[in-house]
Amino acid sequence: MSGILEVDRVSIAFGGLKAVSDFHLSLPKGALHGLIGPNGAGKTTLFNMLTGVYKPDQGTVALEGRRIDGWAPHRIAAAGLARTFQNIRLFKELTVLDNVRVATHARTRVTVVGALLRSLAWTGEEAAVTESAEQLLGLFDLASRAHEQAGNLPYGDQRRLEIARALALRPSVLLLDEPAAGMNPQEKIELRRLIQRVRDEFGLTVLLIEHDMGLVMDICENITVLDHGVVIAVGTPHEVQRDPAVVEAYLGTGH
Amino acid sequence: MADPAITKLLQTTMDAMAVGSLYALIALGYTMVYGILRFINFAHSDIFMLGAWVSFVLARALGWAAPGAVAPVWAGPFAIVFVMVTCGALGFTIERLAYRPLRSAPRINVLITAIGVSLLLENVGQLPAAFGTQPQRMPTLLPDVALAEVGGVILRSVDLTVIGVAVVLMLVLEWVIYNTKLGLAMRAVSTDTRVAALMGIPVDRVISTTFVIGSSLAAAAGFLAAMKYPGLNQPAHSTWVLLGLKAFVAAVIGGIGNLRGAVAGGLLIGVVELFGAAYLSPHLRDVYVFSLLIAVLLFRPAGLLGQATVEKV
Amino acid sequence: MSTADPLALRSHALRAPVGLAALRSLGPWAAVFAIAFVLERLIGPYLPGYYAKVLTDVGIAIVLGVSLNLVNGFTGQFSIGHAGFMAVGGYVAGTVTYYGHHLLWGGIAKQGGFLGASEWLFVAGALAGGIAAGLAGYLVGLPSLRLRGDYLAIVTLGFGEILRVIIQRTDDVLFVPKDIEAASFTTLATSVGGALGFTGIPFLTNLFWVAVAVGAVLVLSYRLKHSDEGRGFLAIREDEVAAEAMGVPTTRLKVRAFVYAAFFAGIAGALFAHEVGTTLNPRELGFQKSFEIVIMVVLGGMGSISGTTLAAIVLTVLPELLREFAQYRMIAYALLLIGMMLLRPQGLFGIHEIWDLSFRRKKAAP
Repeated sequence: MSGILEVDRVSIAFGGLKAVSDFHLSLPKGALHGLIGPNGAGKTTLFNMLTGVYKPDQGTVALEGRRIDGWAPHRIAAAGLARTFQNIRLFKELTVLDNVRVATHARTRVTVVGALLRSLAWTGEEAAVTESAEQLLGLFDLASRAHEQAGNLPYGDQRRLEIARALALRPSVLLLDEPAAGMNPQEKIELRRLIQRVRDEFGLTVLLIEHDMGLVMDICENITVLDHGVVIAVGTPHEVQRDPAVVEAYLGTGH
Repeated sequence: MADPAITKLLQTTMDAMAVGSLYALIALGYTMVYGILRFINFAHSDIFMLGAWVSFVLARALGWAAPGAVAPVWAGPFAIVFVMVTCGALGFTIERLAYRPLRSAPRINVLITAIGVSLLLENVGQLPAAFGTQPQRMPTLLPDVALAEVGGVILRSVDLTVIGVAVVLMLVLEWVIYNTKLGLAMRAVSTDTRVAALMGIPVDRVISTTFVIGSSLAAAAGFLAAMKYPGLNQPAHSTWVLLGLKAFVAAVIGGIGNLRGAVAGGLLIGVVELFGAAYLSPHLRDVYVFSLLIAVLLFRPAGLLGQATVEKV
Repeated sequence: MSTADPLALRSHALRAPVGLAALRSLGPWAAVFAIAFVLERLIGPYLPGYYAKVLTDVGIAIVLGVSLNLVNGFTGQFSIGHAGFMAVGGYVAGTVTYYGHHLLWGGIAKQGGFLGASEWLFVAGALAGGIAAGLAGYLVGLPSLRLRGDYLAIVTLGFGEILRVIIQRTDDVLFVPKDIEAASFTTLATSVGGALGFTGIPFLTNLFWVAVAVGAVLVLSYRLKHSDEGRGFLAIREDEVAAEAMGVPTTRLKVRAFVYAAFFAGIAGALFAHEVGTTLNPRELGFQKSFEIVIMVVLGGMGSISGTTLAAIVLTVLPELLREFAQYRMIAYALLLIGMMLLRPQGLFGIHEIWDLSFRRKKAAP
């Protein structure tokens, strides 16, 4: 147990259908790991288990040596496992700034009583929350849009805002669920730089689900391939690309 | 001759079955709508109220409500068909005008609209041109004779008719849902509206049909309730909302979206309410029902016959 | 990473000047009390009784609407049993003041003038009523808020009904001093008039305390909206799954919003119970009343404090002006609800405050 995220033999079934079985993953600190597989392979289901949305039927998940399986999602998030969503789930009617500030909830210390009294401690903390959120938006080129409604941002900005919001949790592990979906080639290049940059600057460990093979092969050090809920290959991009099981899963038998 | 304890037990069972089958009839409409559109149709209890009031107005118009008047043999069957058709049409209209434009709106908006429709029906019903604000007495349209005596309990034909008609209607619905093309379409829409639409099922027409069926069942329940309890409260009286609410509780307890669950829930509510009233305290019957609801929500939130669903993330 | 971490919350470095902070913290309260004093002492004496009553009704409506807005507006849940919590507050406060007066001073005559002994007993009773309502909110909210949102609607309605049944089963109000002194606490608490209503509650509600309650609910909900917890509420309303994934403890916050709202409904109930010309009875505080409060929130804008306030004012004053059309009032409300959902579902102001809108328009112009 040396990795920052240790997933051991995790399984889940929905009404008799095994969505993920015996999934294993060990991420060392600072890793940038890819998770690929055909549609319906169980990738997002796995994210949902790691983040507590679904409870695994069996198996364990440990973050920085602490068991987190069975915890409520907000506790897992507060413990340092942050995520983005495949279909962007921003707080659309809130401002860009407030989207980020929501995610600092788990780290604030002043209680609601302080907020209602507008105590000195609250004023200071609120200013700190705002300042840190603004800095984060600055890193993502969103500072000028801080007071716009999140739902009004262009698509690419919404994707970036989702990552910024997840980082406001100050996580140790970041799960990205198809961040490049719907992006144009230029945006994808920028996204690639962004992922590498946040990994380096924040000392993050990143687990990335992505369909864009170019992107995954380019930035991930290691890749896990899922098919029908089962791991069919693990290795470097080079190894995985040559794995006959992977080729078959993607192209079907007969090729 | 008969042991009073046994008489009381049998009498309470009889009443519980009659009231329970009325709850079941109403609960079916709630559960069908919830199963497809995922919102509580608050106006459903008002359709039930209208079922009772429309049958009263019909009886009055045909002279059956006059003192000393005796309704013909066909009065009951005619009245029940009449209210089922008119209220079915009303259900169709409500869905068309108030709910369909909100098909893609957040559920809470539909819920608020449903409350608006409910308030509208109640308060329009109170206008002098409609039913007015006076309680009325429903004339007898069904033969009410003592059929037999079992263990000191008089089997009244009206009780048996209520139960019998409710059972027949439920069986017809069961047959429609599981043995016809329409039923298949309804089940498909309830499982996944979007996919059903892609498969070429006319979703809007199926939803309309659901409202027509649900509303006519509630109207039938309204008519039957007026037969069993002829004193009709004014349209906006809280008893109507409350009866509807308890029927919704029946649907939740049985497992919302589940037809057999709604029937089972309705009967269970009837049993809990009437046995509680007979053996504990008659004043707290609503308390028993809502306590049962809280218990079910705490320990089996998907309902007795429902399956836990997983929200897609 | 600890020193260069751009995300650390460095609160110590960012404290505002103490004087300014104190002004921000206490200033609004000074204003609230000043306005309340002016209303009661300088304007009140010249105000005909009828207008004072309408003003009181408006104030109570604002407290009810703005507090329900915490649940139905901010948090996106749907409670339709607000009148039930109002009843809890009214009955508890009424019990405290009515029997309190009898036990302390041998009758319900008012002791002391403005801010005299009776009024402080009233304040204590109102707070007790608010706390009791908040507790009731906790008990009702806990089982239902864990579940699908719309179950809350059913459970709150059911709660109101159970409460009505229980209140109707209470005993007649005691009024013979000897009986009151001999009675146990439980007897007093259950002798609140049953179905006929709780009569004899001293008329202690005045413009001062109404204005203080209105001020408190406005200041506190504004501060809540612009705080960490308030952002959590709004996030839940926007997307519960995402809020949870961002570390927001959604169930806990939903229950809290519900408890705050119930507390203020209890306070409003206390004001209502001690108002001249009202009788506290279970029928008065049923579905219909709850629906009226829901309508204020829906019309004003779910999430907008000022919008709800405006709707509360309009919906209280308008029926007074249109008395001859009383029987059409609920029909008009119903059509308003349906029309609003079809045409402008976010309410007049949506999540925004009235002043935000003009500001936004100016910004958007160039």
